[in-house]
Amino acid sequence: MMRKNKLDKSKLLALGDRFRIYILFGVIFIFMSLFAPRFFNSYNLTTILRTVSMNATIALGFTIVMICGEMDLSIGRTATFAAVIALTLQKKFGYGISVPIAVLAGAGVGLLNGILVAKIKINSFIVTIGTMTILQGATYTITGGNSVSLSGDKVFAISDFLAKPLLPMLPPRVLLTILFVVVFHLFVSNSQWGRNFYMVGGNRTTAWLAGINTDRITITAFILSSTMAAVAGILFAMESSAATLNMGDNSLMYVVSATIIGGTAMSGGKGGILRSVVAVLSLEMLYTGTILFGFGNEVKIFISGLILALVVLYEAYASYKHEKTIGQRAVLLEELAQAKEKI
Amino acid sequence: MKKQVKVVLLAMVLLCLGGLLFAQGEKAVGVTGAGAAANLEASLKVDTSVLKAADGQPLLRLSSELPKIPTRPANPEALPDTDPLRWFDMEYAGWDTKKTNIPASPKDGAIGKRVVMIVHGDHPWTTACSNGAKKVADAYGMDLKILSPNWDLAVQNQMIDQSINERPDMILIIPLDATTAIQQARRINQSGIPFIFFNTLPTAEAMNYAITWTGPDDFGQMRKLAKVFADEMRRRNPGAKELGIAYVQHAPGGSPYFARSYGPLSELAGYAPEVVTLDMQAPGFEADRTMQLVSDWLTRFGPRLKGIFAADDSAQALGIIEALKKAGRDDIVVVAAGNSKIGMDMVTDGSLFAITYQTAEGDGALAVQTAADWFNGKELPNRRDIPQHIITKADVADFYPPQW
Repeated sequence: MMRKNKLDKSKLLALGDRFRIYILFGVIFIFMSLFAPRFFNSYNLTTILRTVSMNATIALGFTIVMICGEMDLSIGRTATFAAVIALTLQKKFGYGISVPIAVLAGAGVGLLNGILVAKIKINSFIVTIGTMTILQGATYTITGGNSVSLSGDKVFAISDFLAKPLLPMLPPRVLLTILFVVVFHLFVSNSQWGRNFYMVGGNRTTAWLAGINTDRITITAFILSSTMAAVAGILFAMESSAATLNMGDNSLMYVVSATIIGGTAMSGGKGGILRSVVAVLSLEMLYTGTILFGFGNEVKIFISGLILALVVLYEAYASYKHEKTIGQRAVLLEELAQAKEKI
Repeated sequence: MKKQVKVVLLAMVLLCLGGLLFAQGEKAVGVTGAGAAANLEASLKVDTSVLKAADGQPLLRLSSELPKIPTRPANPEALPDTDPLRWFDMEYAGWDTKKTNIPASPKDGAIGKRVVMIVHGDHPWTTACSNGAKKVADAYGMDLKILSPNWDLAVQNQMIDQSINERPDMILIIPLDATTAIQQARRINQSGIPFIFFNTLPTAEAMNYAITWTGPDDFGQMRKLAKVFADEMRRRNPGAKELGIAYVQHAPGGSPYFARSYGPLSELAGYAPEVVTLDMQAPGFEADRTMQLVSDWLTRFGPRLKGIFAADDSAQALGIIEALKKAGRDDIVVVAAGNSKIGMDMVTDGSLFAITYQTAEGDGALAVQTAADWFNGKELPNRRDIPQHIITKADVADFYPPQW
């Protein structure tokens, strides 16, 4: 009976761990709806969804990079770089040409990152710090250190179209984000290619032995990450009709935090698209709530850091417990010792 | 996996239901009839002219001099950077605007009004500015909520949306970026909530949607500082055919970036043609980075460098003075925009030649006062400028204790 209870408890804990981000989401949503002034109304919820769009879109590709066991620190700068290109070229060619070029530029950044990590075998931290700095310089060079803005009826019409709800609470930018989420979720969880990201992140050598082209998978992950960062930056800039030189800076910490909080392991092989998106949404609700309660930005930063610290602490504890459990498998250890003796 | 999808779908349905149930949010409740008249009468009796800033100066000061506005060139951007008219749309933003969809004043008094103030970021200047704003808000019994996006445009946009959601009686906003302010202004304007820009100027187009703008005339102030700067360089280098200077710039994008670089640049081109710009750099607001930049300039330009024009009289000025001290170059004239304790102390000890009067408390106070005037039904000009003054060693003592 005791054993059964223990099993139930551990099952429950495992279930809680597996769905922790959804539980967190539910708790924050219910708490804010009940207590935060003016949280639970369509205008505010639309604002939350619109704000989430940029970081949720960036998180899609970034999660794949992390599942592969790599890191992409250039996402924020890629978003800014692509936004600046899209708006600068729009003045001459219109969005029809400027947007595809900007998306391709973003994909190019990912390709470069991927090749340097997969083929030249440079640590992804180093590579993407380098790319981040290069992109900052390139952005400043293109703009001459100034923000880029557009005006005119056509531009504002596009901007208003992206911002105003097409369906209740769902402006086109949010609808696009939902579409991206569905496509990426299906791609990562249901396709062979998607499962390969987990294989490579879980154990690169085993993946290679299993016949997976690990380099191609890694390069693809970086391309997807940069492309989605570019798309996010472009959509944000199109809605604002402007791009500032630091517009993507805060997205890096935000997306990294949300992805880790969502349960994607920094060591790779574990995580999910939906989890990251729900984590981004949860953090945004938390931030909005803090503002509605009248707290400043500093409280928002503090809470974000606290949640991240708690999650990392929990991950470390879970990992320690897991290793401890492995050590307690006396039968397996005995078998291992016998096998060694035979050799 | 299916479970996860179900949970997410459920969450989305919850969000949608929540939104539909409370479709329009809360509406502001106004004062009507006799209550409004009494409130207006009481509000008009409030005397804020007696309020003082931390430096002992009157808290609310309005410039009495109106600038002479030249005719706008057909395409200012086609002009060279050294032409003052190149900066027409920024320098004179707001003076000549086509106001669009501006709400009429309720003329029911400022007392009890809910005002949201969205600043640019956390900084000692912002704290002083907020203190000034609170002093006026308290005098009128206004409910003032101050939000800081910490220099993040996305967060400022979000704060604007959340403020619209709260339906305050007025929004006061420092635009984070001059050019991106157009969309922010349109959004608030479309919501029907009256708003005022303050401190930094947005582009002229954004001003069409705002009731007015209040703050320091940064371009005007920098033009004055540039003249004082040139005069001092001439005094120290009599007969010099070339006076090489360099600019330590503000953060790119905002109006101070343009006003504090191209304001003096275009002014000096006419006032002191012998002044030659050797370099312009924006190292941020860290003393060590500025020190490194100035050390590099000293190596690169040597004795050609005669003056440095800085956008900030605190961290940037500290870095500049430290680099000059290390190199033993006390011949270089340094001036800076700002009115901080660090800057004032350096003017007092002579290491900084001049700074600008830039009352942080007065800036915030004037924005709230202007909001109060609007509630009281007063006619407002397109811009309300804070008076200009250049602080040198001769009068720096009058501005102690500093506001920040």
